Amino acid sequence: MSAITLSGVHKWYGDYHALRNVDLDIAPGERIVICGPSGSGKSTLIRCINGLESHDQGRIAIGDEEVREDARALQRVRIRVGMVFQSFNLFPHLTIVENCMLAPVRVGEASPAEARERAHALLDRVRIGDQKDKYPGQLSGGQQQRAAIARALCMRPEIMLFDEPTSALDAEMVKEVLDIMTALASDGMTMLCVTHEMGFAREVADRVVFMDAGQIVEIGEPTAFFSAPKHDRARAFLGQLIH
Amino acid sequence: MSYVRTAPEAILPAPVVARPSLAASLFGDAASSLATVFITLVALAALPHLFAWAVTNGVWVGDGEACRDAGACWAFLRAKTPFILFGIYPEDERWRPMVAVGIFVVLTIWSLPRKHWTRATLFGWIAGIVAALLLMGGKTIGLTEVPTSAWGGLPITILLTVLSLALGFPAAVLLALGRRSPHPALRWLSTGFIELVRGLPLLSMLFVASIMVPLLLPDGVTIDNLFRALVALTFSAAAYLAEVVRGGLQGVPRGQEEAARALGLSWAQAMRLVVLPQAIRNVIPPLTNTVVVIVKNTSLVLVVGLFDLLSAGRVALSDPDWPAPYAETYLMIALIYFTICYAFARYALHLERTLGQVRR
Ligand SMILES: Nc1ncnc2c1ncn2[C@@H]1O[C@H](COP(=O)(O)OP(=O)(O)O)[C@@H](O)[C@H]1O
Ligand SMILES: [Mg+2]
Repeated sequence: MSAITLSGVHKWYGDYHALRNVDLDIAPGERIVICGPSGSGKSTLIRCINGLESHDQGRIAIGDEEVREDARALQRVRIRVGMVFQSFNLFPHLTIVENCMLAPVRVGEASPAEARERAHALLDRVRIGDQKDKYPGQLSGGQQQRAAIARALCMRPEIMLFDEPTSALDAEMVKEVLDIMTALASDGMTMLCVTHEMGFAREVADRVVFMDAGQIVEIGEPTAFFSAPKHDRARAFLGQLIH
Repeated sequence: MSYVRTAPEAILPAPVVARPSLAASLFGDAASSLATVFITLVALAALPHLFAWAVTNGVWVGDGEACRDAGACWAFLRAKTPFILFGIYPEDERWRPMVAVGIFVVLTIWSLPRKHWTRATLFGWIAGIVAALLLMGGKTIGLTEVPTSAWGGLPITILLTVLSLALGFPAAVLLALGRRSPHPALRWLSTGFIELVRGLPLLSMLFVASIMVPLLLPDGVTIDNLFRALVALTFSAAAYLAEVVRGGLQGVPRGQEEAARALGLSWAQAMRLVVLPQAIRNVIPPLTNTVVVIVKNTSLVLVVGLFDLLSAGRVALSDPDWPAPYAETYLMIALIYFTICYAFARYALHLERTLGQVRR
């Protein structure tokens, strides 16, 4: 069964047609990179998948769990799908380890001791174990984003969504975050990642999805997509990235 | 590439700007020197009079006669303090309001350290309030019944303050959330309530509660006057606090709620555990301000015939055996209010410093 299914998905913001008939099928363990110009609907797409935005038409499912406007169903979806934001969105009033423990204790029914242990293990894995008792404001951007990845992983999701996870970072910190994501990919995590880091896409992605004006314009293997994009808009977009 | 930084640069605190010395503050430039000299002269002119009134000519012991044509009549306060503090509550039963006040003092002191902010403390408060009410009323627990119309002084002030804040604050949080709700009905109801209550003078609400409500009730149904005043005060507290809380909510980025929801937290959990703690920390100073106003507003219940501290003081002053020492009485009452409000403000400042570290 597919990990994520989107078929005929439409989304409007008022009169604005933000997603137009999006079809996409993602297999378990697959790594997808989504790229496209700003405003093309990448964030909207990814936010519809975990129900942060509701779609108006079509079907979205995580495995066999339909994404629909029902609190219980949405919670089940969100437990299975982790999300990492461009602006980290760590909770500034909690320490790093408390950030990681909150959802497992309150949603995942882990005991505090269990949640703490899990948090420590994952914080070590993203290499900020020594920062666990600090507050988010005391960490650098790269460290914060790694903490946010650990926080999402603490819920043991099957799928991870990333929305431009490195766009808010200084160049010197981009690599440390991408390294973590690459490691995650090689562990077999199903990943859907909006990013313009083409090096990462080449190395990690199974497929690259190019979006423009709310539509999926082109889907292809990274080598094929980067060397010979079929579509004019994709070509123009890649041209801009290189210059 | 040995010149490329591998570790991130440490984040340093902003440099400390030294405060100018006291001497520099007082006489640093012409304007400060002038202000210093002026204030000193005014103080020198006023202080001897104040000292003569309060100390040299002050009457510390004696009766009403001793106070005639003298300075401050402190003897009056000696005689009337129990009445001002406990109003017309029967004299033989005064231990009951004393114990009630004691309960509140103990609970307040116990609740100060943050590690005591637990569910048990919350239940302690509920139990304490119920115990104080039962003790004051007496009938339910087999003591002489004292109707609320005979309650008075400090216990009334404390009860009204504690209850209007304890009931008003949760209501304020719900109103603030309601005002931001996507459901139009909830939003209109909350906005309507807040704007209506803020737009009405508290005095008129108290009058409505104490005079109009009984007229509207069917025959035989009565609602205690104290309770009606409490409802008016709670409404007012809820409306003002709601706007402060809403301000705090606006300062929390949308991404906080989204991140919480994306982790699977319910809306209520996201609010309670993520958004509200940040919102409230961000508005501790205006919250303190509003709370202090609410504490002092309880004194307005004197217009509907309740015996709070201020009304008890006024009744004490009407005793014909004494020459009505207004200044002394109001000074004492002011001192009690000031102590409560100042202590609260200092505590809030302490909280602001210790929990206010929502660093982004
Ligand atoms: N909450 C919203 N209300 C109205 N319009 C929105 C909202 N969110 C996004 N949009 C619009 O939808 C389009 C797609 O946005 P988005 O998915 O964020 O694009 P991307 O992530 O590809 O840059 C943009 O034109 C944006 O202005
Ligand atoms: Mg985006």
